[in-house]
Amino acid sequence: MKNKKWLSITAILALSMFATACSNGGNEGSGKEKQVTITHYTIDSPDRTFVEKLIPEFEAKHPNIKVKVTKAPYEQFDSKLQSSIAAKNAPDVTSHWGYGGFMEYYNKDMLMDMTPYFEDFKAADYNIPEDVMNIYKVDGKTYGIPLNSYVTVMLYNKDLFDKAGLPYPPTDYEDKSWTFDKMVEYAKKLTVDSENLEEAQYGVDFGFGERDQRPQYFGANVYSDDTWTNGGKPTEINLTKPDVIDAYKTLYGLIHDLKVSPTPAFSQSVSGQFGDPFLSGKIAMSVVGSWSLAAAADFNFKVGVAAVPVSPKGDVRSVLYVDPLFVLKDSKHPKEAAEWIKFLVTTEIQEKSIELSGGNPPVNQAAAEKYYSNFEGIDPAGIKQVFEGAYKYGFESYNHLISNYSQINELFINELSGVENGKQKVEDVLPVIEQKLKDLLARVNK
Amino acid sequence: MSEVTHDASSKRIIVKRKLKLSQIVGFLILLAVTITMLSPVWFMLSTSLKTTKEMLMFPPTIIPKVFAWENFRELFTNTEIKFGQQYKNSLIVGIFTVIGTVLSSSFVAFGFARYKGKGSGLMFMLVLSTLMLPYPAIMIPQFLLFMNLGLHDSLLPLILPAFFGSAYMIFLLRQFFSTLPDELYNAGRIDGCSEFRLYWNITLPLAGPALATVAIFSFIWSWNDLLTPVLYLDSQENFTLPVGMAAMLSSKFRLAPWNLLMAASILSVLPIIVLFAVAQKRFVEGIVLTGIK
Repeated sequence: MKNKKWLSITAILALSMFATACSNGGNEGSGKEKQVTITHYTIDSPDRTFVEKLIPEFEAKHPNIKVKVTKAPYEQFDSKLQSSIAAKNAPDVTSHWGYGGFMEYYNKDMLMDMTPYFEDFKAADYNIPEDVMNIYKVDGKTYGIPLNSYVTVMLYNKDLFDKAGLPYPPTDYEDKSWTFDKMVEYAKKLTVDSENLEEAQYGVDFGFGERDQRPQYFGANVYSDDTWTNGGKPTEINLTKPDVIDAYKTLYGLIHDLKVSPTPAFSQSVSGQFGDPFLSGKIAMSVVGSWSLAAAADFNFKVGVAAVPVSPKGDVRSVLYVDPLFVLKDSKHPKEAAEWIKFLVTTEIQEKSIELSGGNPPVNQAAAEKYYSNFEGIDPAGIKQVFEGAYKYGFESYNHLISNYSQINELFINELSGVENGKQKVEDVLPVIEQKLKDLLARVNK
Repeated sequence: MSEVTHDASSKRIIVKRKLKLSQIVGFLILLAVTITMLSPVWFMLSTSLKTTKEMLMFPPTIIPKVFAWENFRELFTNTEIKFGQQYKNSLIVGIFTVIGTVLSSSFVAFGFARYKGKGSGLMFMLVLSTLMLPYPAIMIPQFLLFMNLGLHDSLLPLILPAFFGSAYMIFLLRQFFSTLPDELYNAGRIDGCSEFRLYWNITLPLAGPALATVAIFSFIWSWNDLLTPVLYLDSQENFTLPVGMAAMLSSKFRLAPWNLLMAASILSVLPIIVLFAVAQKRFVEGIVLTGIK
């Protein structure tokens, strides 16, 4: 009996001593200096972490500011950010690099109104297009500064075009002979319908934005227009309107009626780990985000860049993906954070960033000139024309603009998979999605 | 069925068997299953030795045309990946987690197994009930705790919890310790053993297989853990392997370097294989009740 008590007392003592020993190390660095450290939180991937290499230059110019980069893998980006915020250890500068978008951050009240720190900041001085700047303004207040801007492009496999004896598609968005129907006509000639995976190839893979944005190409809108002005909360869903139904029918008709686009099963079996069947050389034309260009040098075929064809109706032909930088609400050093952001969008640094990042498109249009000539074997003038046309005919990606987008997107992916497999009909599925989406929005936008 | 011949030259008896059809079919089925099971491993090996261009080829090559051994070298020389450093961190965390879990959990389990008193059952239930709390529920409070202790962005938050016992391991060891006969302990007490020596010199040596299980489990859990290191670690020098390897996949804008990732995967399963090979002996050895009739 005595022994037992002795045992438990020593155990408790040992544990508590251990705990106090740990807590002594806690409060270091309490001596306050003028120097300020800001944290830049980003995805752990070379095209994001390259900013570390820019820090020495920044610190030399701003001796009172130190920059620390913290990072997390893409999949874990949001959870780390959320817990840092909950623990009052939020980073100062970050972006919506995870699943959430600008509106999600804004609605969660995570962003600081940066207007006072950017009073002397003129977009024109940094060659940032005014309408790109405006994406991150709500009621005239600035909540973000654009950093990179990706567009949608059409990539095509030159080898397959040569083999079929077809002319290459144009880079000029003003060339009105390059229409959706023409693309389908080319696609038919480029398709080899075969059970044999080695022979089979498809004409076009129309990966325009996320699934709910695709009707926009056909001049139909899934969400009511007020979505873009009221904080990303749609008041009406138009999934059962005839023009939206037609848009989806045309789109999925490419796979199941015309058979010029790959089925999900085909895509999966030829693209394996890479997620994009175009990379395996089995697809002649692919409408994708311009980031796919960065890997162009590694493709096993010659690749070309072209304009997205003229849409049958409507004039949105490109989805824009602008990545901004935000200052989070809890930041203790917003002024210094603003200095760091301004530094990152200067022409000189944006030019440097292209190479350091391995080909990120700068938002600064002066630096963009350098970006266009960054791709081996692709004519810089052509890329420039494609990018400029895409900006002109572009619309910002829905995921940056709609609140709670990750849940909405997941719903579309799940519900439309039946249509993509050819097991269900568009007109049967859309009313189901509409109802589920309404329920979802009612729940999350209370 | 079988004939026995005497081979004079090697002085060995060779048994020649005529195989039945059913045995051949069975063998073929086993062979097919084995190949199916091993094919992902083969694919991992072969991808780890491909160049980026060959990795993108369709149809995929089964044996790489050119063996790109430099993939393995790149893991260690590429300063952006810092694979060697992360490997070291993972080993440090893994080894200390094993030491911590084995020591603390066996100590607590010993108490629960050998001493009965008022409320000991309730205490045990309390320990077990912590099993029901999912990690996300304690994630933020624990994060705050370590933040306030100033241990954020170091390996300590990953190691320290192991020294405070793990409910599952305590349960496992308690069940094992309870099967040890009282006679052993009484004999020890008669010989003047202190309570601590009963734990250290009698219980632990007899608990080889159970401790090996605990060691393997805790090592594998710590080795594979991704979420905790992601939360606590900010500097790349402190990252563990899962964080580093997840980062290779993390760009939505870039082609993932699957060849490097596969090379990293091969190297990262090695410690688990070694640990298992070592600990397996202890599994077999455990004949506990020797000496008691």
